[in-house]
Amino acid sequence: MNSLRTFLYEWKHFLRNPFKLVAVLLFIIAGVYGLHNGYSLYDNQTTEIEKIQKKMEVDMQDYLTQYEQGKLTDENRPWIDMGTPFWAIWNTPTYHFKTPSPAMVYSTGQAEQYGYYKRITFWASPYDADMAEEIANPERLQVGTLDFTFVLLFLLPLLLLILVYNLKSAETELGFMPLIEVQSASKHKWLLTRYLFYVLFIAFTITILLLYGATLTDVFATAGDAFAQMLIFTLLYLLFWVVVFYLISKNGKSILGNTLKMVGVWLVFAFIIPAIVHQSVSIVQPANLMTDFIEVRDKQQDLYADDSLFQKKLIGLFPEIKNSPVYQDSTKISLATNYSASALVNELKKESIQPIEEENQEKNGLIQATYWFNPVTFFQNKFNSITQTHYVDYQSYRNEIQALIDKRTALLVRELWNDAKVDKVKYLEYSELLSITN
Amino acid sequence: MWKIIKNEWLYFSRTRWLTGISLGFIIILIGSILLGHLQTKEETERYTQAKNELRADWENIDAMNPHSAAHYGTYVFKPANLLSSLDDGVNSTTGNVLRVEGHVQNEIVHSEASQMQTVSKFGKLKSSLLLQYIVPILLIFLAFNSISDEKRSGRLKLLVLQGAKPISIVLAKTVSIWLYGIALLTLSILAYALFNTDALNAEILSRTGLFFLSYALYYFIITGLSVFFSARWQNSTIALTSMLGIWIIWTIFLPNILMSSVEKWHELPSRNEFKAEMKEDRSKGIDGHNPADERGKQLEQLTLKEYGVDSLSQLPINFDGLRMQADEEYGNQVWDKHFGNLREVLNQQKQKYQLGGIFNPFISLQNASMGFAGNDNLHHQEFLVDVENYRRDFIKMLNDEHAYGGSKTGDWGWKANNDFFKSVPDFKYNPTALTSVFPHYSIDLLLLSIWTIVVVGLMVIGTRKMQIL
Repeated sequence: MNSLRTFLYEWKHFLRNPFKLVAVLLFIIAGVYGLHNGYSLYDNQTTEIEKIQKKMEVDMQDYLTQYEQGKLTDENRPWIDMGTPFWAIWNTPTYHFKTPSPAMVYSTGQAEQYGYYKRITFWASPYDADMAEEIANPERLQVGTLDFTFVLLFLLPLLLLILVYNLKSAETELGFMPLIEVQSASKHKWLLTRYLFYVLFIAFTITILLLYGATLTDVFATAGDAFAQMLIFTLLYLLFWVVVFYLISKNGKSILGNTLKMVGVWLVFAFIIPAIVHQSVSIVQPANLMTDFIEVRDKQQDLYADDSLFQKKLIGLFPEIKNSPVYQDSTKISLATNYSASALVNELKKESIQPIEEENQEKNGLIQATYWFNPVTFFQNKFNSITQTHYVDYQSYRNEIQALIDKRTALLVRELWNDAKVDKVKYLEYSELLSITN
Repeated sequence: MWKIIKNEWLYFSRTRWLTGISLGFIIILIGSILLGHLQTKEETERYTQAKNELRADWENIDAMNPHSAAHYGTYVFKPANLLSSLDDGVNSTTGNVLRVEGHVQNEIVHSEASQMQTVSKFGKLKSSLLLQYIVPILLIFLAFNSISDEKRSGRLKLLVLQGAKPISIVLAKTVSIWLYGIALLTLSILAYALFNTDALNAEILSRTGLFFLSYALYYFIITGLSVFFSARWQNSTIALTSMLGIWIIWTIFLPNILMSSVEKWHELPSRNEFKAEMKEDRSKGIDGHNPADERGKQLEQLTLKEYGVDSLSQLPINFDGLRMQADEEYGNQVWDKHFGNLREVLNQQKQKYQLGGIFNPFISLQNASMGFAGNDNLHHQEFLVDVENYRRDFIKMLNDEHAYGGSKTGDWGWKANNDFFKSVPDFKYNPTALTSVFPHYSIDLLLLSIWTIVVVGLMVIGTRKMQIL
């Protein structure tokens, strides 16, 4: 019996097995459902971002009208003067977004654990409350979303299991193996050919599903390499399970024994190892209660209580203040100092954030060190990375937010101490400058 | 019947693969309890340290204006729950830190899940993970050929000829396999009790008792159904693949799909919408920081009238404190409305999800497990309400001190002393009593019981149609 004939017989065998057909059908349904879940999150986030952008444009237009009409102060709030840098920058609406990648259709990853829009103010920080996840049911977050990656990571091995659990073992139990050995050049080649059929079949199914996903968010137009990477890593993941199951089939002799071993290996890799790693990381590095970040509150109080320290720190941070016109004017120096407080507090926050982020990196390091025996977590993070929903992507987003806050406070200090006067042109300059991350 | 059960257990003890798997599983099970215990210990230490630090910061306030103290505020940390080592529930996805301050009800932030990359989709190695996902698989593997093997070997015929009733045989097989699951369950509860002997009390015991009951019912459903398939079908492979299919649909597919669906049926607002609506409602009330505010002026007139004076300077109290408290009370109505709506939507989602137990007993088990462990969203919401109640008392104390502590209106330089700050009580978390939340989980227990009855019914009907001779 040549390989081609074995291959074709496997196709017939597959078509005559309703259980296997139903399994494939369920897998495809789950895949399509998962892709639509990913698309739904992508769409929600895109729509929300558009809404905020529109609101921001309206607010911006209101402020520009105020400049055009010369209404720089508010009767009800007389302390507000849009002609001064403090209030002009305060009222320059700036949001920074983590625009979702179209590849999110494949994996929602950690996208639901973080905020994706952030209003940048003088007092903002990348660890503010509004950087937490969108309002969601925590039980749903705990159960997780059935996205396409979930289908790949957990259902793909199960599908393969259902398709191959009785290969060779069924023939062994029925006593057909001697006959097959006579008919085939090699029983290993015979088993390998049968496996090859299912590998190609699954690979084809996955490619079709990936292509379908790509049409939902236009992956090819904006994130073309994401498709290729998803395909490559999915095939590698499939290969991993094929090797494991093939070894079981090759050495096993009974359907029950093989099924038990395959299910056992799946449970160990999909559930037990990641769970042990997760538990161990939580013991070594329990959840950070952010006390370092909270301590900024007291450091801020200490700073406010000591004028000379405040001045010293401010000049240390912005030495150019010494040569500024306001520094030479004793009537203006106090107000400028008070208004510059956010720049110092920003520095305190940055100092407090550093050890927190280092601790988080340590946790990530611990997880990455387990990749060699924890392939499911490796592939999960790989998929998250490809679809830009990984921790690192949100860390980059936080870094961009921090850069925008730095820029905002630095601009404030520079303009305050130079006693700048703000008109419409200057306001537009601020707006443009404060919305660019680099 | 007892003889059959005894024989089955004898067979289990002589089956090498089962002994091996059982031993390995027991080691992992005890390991999970130990690791869970260690984690709770670590978390409790961190929690106590952080709580004490924050309290010390508050008690060390030498002198401060009460309203400045309201802005300075404090923080409440979510404490570790003793039953977390059994089922961690939503703990890793909810935040751990809640800022308590004037003018605003904050949301809990800084979840554990947000502090690292993804590790496990199914959570940490807790007993619940093993008991919910792995034990049922073991039971399926033990049960799928329990009757078909007897049929194939002819032992079933022999047993019937010896006078055993088919239903007794089926029930005995079910009970013997079910007892295997119960043994593993008992072991994990005993290991948990052993690590927490000092903390055991009536509340914990009743919670673990109900936790045990939920799993016991679920295991009976899984075992009974597997034995039913084994009795119905001649081919044991079909029985196995059917049960594995059911397991996949129940534990992997349906919880995910149903949870996503209920969130669509009862939609939560986006954070942006939520904040914007609260801001809008808030702007209609008193602005404590704006003396020119119209509603503030009305309150001013009422207060002057009450004290029978013409101007704020003549008041024996500090009107700023009264205005701040009026601002708070208006804000509280706004928070109650909006956060109340959120809780309502979350409750509706939970109720609908629980009804999913009608066609998937795993959903009932999952709900009951994290609910009885005190780690589901309901308990989390109770914690948030407790903190908010504390915040309101905390801010009222500060505003009262501001108003009646001895200062006059406009005297923002006035400071309350350290004795006052020490007298403000710290947040004390009273864990939600089981009696107050039990009705929420009665539906889960009811559905698990109904499923048990249905499975017994299936076994009775299935046995009647079973081919013996």
